[in-house]
Order: sequence, then C-alpha cells, then structure tokens
Amino acid sequence: MVRRAGRAVKVPTEADFPSRLRSAAVTARVGMWLGICFTICFATGLISHYAQNHSQPIPFPTSPSWGYRVTQGLHVITGTASVPLLLVKLWTVYPRLFVRPPKGLRKLLLEVLERGSIAVLVAGAIFQLASGLANSSQWYPWSFSFRATHYAIAWITIGALLVHIAVKLPIIRGALTSDVEDTTYDRPTATRPGVLSRRGLLRTTWVAAGVAVLATAGSTVPILRKVSVFGVRSGDGPAGIPINKSAAAAKVAPAAMSGDYRFSVAYGDEERSFTRDELLAMEQRTETLPIACVEGWSASGTWSGVRVRDLLDLVGGPSGSDVLVVSLQESGPYRETVLQGNFADDDRTLLALALEGEPLALDHGYPARLIAPNRPGVLQTKWVTRLEVSA
Amino acid sequence: MRAVIGAVGVVVGLFGAWFLLTRQDLDQLVGAATWLVVGVVLHDGVLAGATLLLGAVALRLLPRAARAPAVVAFVVLGSVTLLAVPVLGRFGERSDNATLLDRDYTAGWLVLALLTVAAVVVASVLRSRRATRRGPLR
Repeated sequence: MVRRAGRAVKVPTEADFPSRLRSAAVTARVGMWLGICFTICFATGLISHYAQNHSQPIPFPTSPSWGYRVTQGLHVITGTASVPLLLVKLWTVYPRLFVRPPKGLRKLLLEVLERGSIAVLVAGAIFQLASGLANSSQWYPWSFSFRATHYAIAWITIGALLVHIAVKLPIIRGALTSDVEDTTYDRPTATRPGVLSRRGLLRTTWVAAGVAVLATAGSTVPILRKVSVFGVRSGDGPAGIPINKSAAAAKVAPAAMSGDYRFSVAYGDEERSFTRDELLAMEQRTETLPIACVEGWSASGTWSGVRVRDLLDLVGGPSGSDVLVVSLQESGPYRETVLQGNFADDDRTLLALALEGEPLALDHGYPARLIAPNRPGVLQTKWVTRLEVSA
Repeated sequence: MRAVIGAVGVVVGLFGAWFLLTRQDLDQLVGAATWLVVGVVLHDGVLAGATLLLGAVALRLLPRAARAPAVVAFVVLGSVTLLAVPVLGRFGERSDNATLLDRDYTAGWLVLALLTVAAVVVASVLRSRRATRRGPLR
C-alpha cells in the first residue's frame, strides 16, 4: 500500500483486504457475544450508578448482601472479556472504513448518517473499555469526572448499538441463521482463504476472551486468585482484606489515633457521645459481609461492632430515616455520605470495631467504620466520627 | 420492528449526550472528547496498521505449519496484553497502599508469553509432522 518513500501514500480500498475471514458471518457471531457483554455491562453499570445515588426513590435493596459484589464483579469481568471481542469484531469490518462514498445525494446522506452512528458506537465502545480498565487499576489520566462521563457515554454507546442493530438486522439475522462458511453477505472481493478457518478464528476469539477473564477475575473470584496474573489485587491486606484508600491518603491518622476521638450519634437536639472503649462495652454483633468496590474487586470479611440501629435507638431516631455518616477525613467527596433508611434499619448494618477478631486496622477505618450489606465499597465509610439522623 | 429499535436507540443516545453535556464544565468536556477521538485514532490508525504490518512480516518469515498457531497466539496474547497495559505500567501505584497492584505483573506476562510461545512451537511441530505424513499442507 505504501508505494515509494517520499511519495503520497495510496489510500487503500475495500479490495485491498481480500481475506474471507473478514466476513459478516464472523462479525455477526462475535458481535452477538459483544452485544451480550455490553448489555450486562450496561445493566450492572446502571445498578452501580443508582446504588451510589444519595436519593433513591425506590430503595436500593439490602439483600442479598453479596448482590453488589456479583453485579459489580460482572460489570468488570464482562467489560474485560469485551476487549478481545471488540478487537476481533473491528478487525473483521475494518475494510468497510475504506468503502468509497456512494453517488447521489439521498444515498450519500444515508451513508453519512449510518457511518456517523458507527463512529459514535466505535468511539464510545473504545472509550468505555479503556476508561473502565484504567479506572479499575486506579489510574486516572483524565480531567473529566469518571463517574458522570462513563455513565453518560454508556447511554450514548448503547443508543448507538441499538441503531446499529436496527440498521443491520436483516444481515445479522441472515448471518446467524446460516452456516459460518456461507458467503451470502461477504464482500465480493473477500475470497482469499485465511490462515485460520472462520471457525478457527471464532474459537480463537472465545479463547482470548476466556484468558482475559481468567487473567483478571481473581480480584473478585477468590478461587481464581492464583491464575489471575493481571488481577489488580491479590486479595492480601490487613486481616486478609485489601484497602482502597489508605489512612495516609485520607490524612486521618492523627485524628484517628488521638485519645480525644469521640463517636457521636445525634437526632435533633438529642445527642450521645462515646469513646471507642465505651462502644466496645456495648452489645457486640458479628456479621459476615463483603466489601465490594466500584473498581470491581471484592472480599468477604467477618466484622464485629455495634449494630447501627441500636445506636440510633439511643437518641430516638425513627426507623426509616436517612442517616448522615461523617468521617474524620477533612475533605473529599466521601467525607459525608448518606446511609439510606432501609440500610440504617437493617440488622446487619454495623458500626464495625473489629475485623476477623482483630481490632480494625487503621487503613480499614480504625477506630470505627460503617459496614452494611449490598452496598458499594465507596459508601462503606471509614474513620466514622458521627451519625446524624435526618429530621 | 427495526424502526422501533432505531428510534429507541436515538432517544437513549440523546439522553446520554444530554447527560454528558450538562454535568461538567467545558474543560472536562474537552478532555472527554479528546479521549473519544484519540481512542478511535489509536485503533483505526495505529493498532490496525501495526496488525497489518505484523501479519505481512509474519507471513514471510514463518514456516507454513507455524502460521495458524501464530495467529491464535497473536490474538490471545495481543488482546490480553493490551487490556493489561494499566497494570503492567503500574500507573495507579501508590506508596501508601501496598494492597493495590500487589503482583509482579511483568513476571505474570512473561509466564503467559512463554506458555503461548511453547503452545505455538508444539502446535507447529505437530502440524508439520502431520503434513509430512499426509502430504503438503494446503
């Protein structure tokens, strides 16, 4: 394609890609699985977004306690599996990038619209996978708000995907209902046999997606820990649980270790204050609950501490009320979080003082942290100093 | 049916666009737009071009029996390497958090690459033997 150094590079045409592997029969099959993965990603992403909203007109359920662990694990696993699927799918349709525009205004306009929707779909798909993977390893090389942008572009991408399916439906249906070697939907110039057969390429793609999952999912599926060589976390940490934000990063160590630490619970004018020892002297409950992070990693722990409902009862906090949870952190978006009424009332929701029978590590939120069932890790507030029942 | 799916798609996409444009300031939007465009350029320009080039070179250098195993290895190792870039580069590493990125990812990659190369060699030798028994590969 590159003719001679120093002269203009010839733009390739469709006919320069003669492999019969670049066929709609392959595209439709890979595309179907990519569509399934994107749909799971979208649905679980909506769940995660909603779970992080302050205001929840329909209360986010507190059961099953492992629900968010599963949905967010699936979100990252299906996103990871989508990388090989997307790359192979784009490879099969790459020649179409070089199709010359048709003559005639009406045809041209339709072509521009269709290509525009494809451009949006491809840009959105690459954006979602790249930004999601970077975010899951806590790498944030961007200036935009990750949560708002990843959420908005998810809607844009799914919208473009629906338009794409609508446009291609006859071909998708035809390709999926006929044999993979069928040439009905092939480009006329795509006749050269590939190094692999079409079945071989499809099997290779499934293997690549499987390896991608096995190599990363150990961050959330404990039995895969040993084989997940690219897992963001091995699962190690104080008391066997990893940490997302350290005490040093949150700049809370002096306040958390200080003898002046007090925990207070308030409702209107009613307020009670406790030292950590006084909290330990209250009735202790033990619950096994997972920490499940938006980044997709998760781990189950056995937590002990005071039931949050017991604390709220001390100041007469009515059931069903939202509770403001205040951390010792001096700044940051999660210094104050809202614990919705149904979470505050759940018997399993604890102000945890210990993990796996040991006093809470500083990085796990010493002197006291919130732990509730089925809740995004980012809202399991650490270094808690105050609970305030909304009036 | 198709018209309905398409119309729903347009509405869903427009909701996303509205959400994107109304929640952030201009600098952030420019950042997001840059990422959207750069992603496509990197794929369509750099990655697709590099794949074509590598394919052309491999076709000349590799013996016939090794070509199919090499393609399989390239698809698997190439795509998995690409998605492992954030951990291989350890860009999110933090000195105050030893539980994050707490594996030797380079060693993990080398093991995966060695296994892949070994699989290519074994498959190539097997294919080549079969070919000598049955006559040349097609």
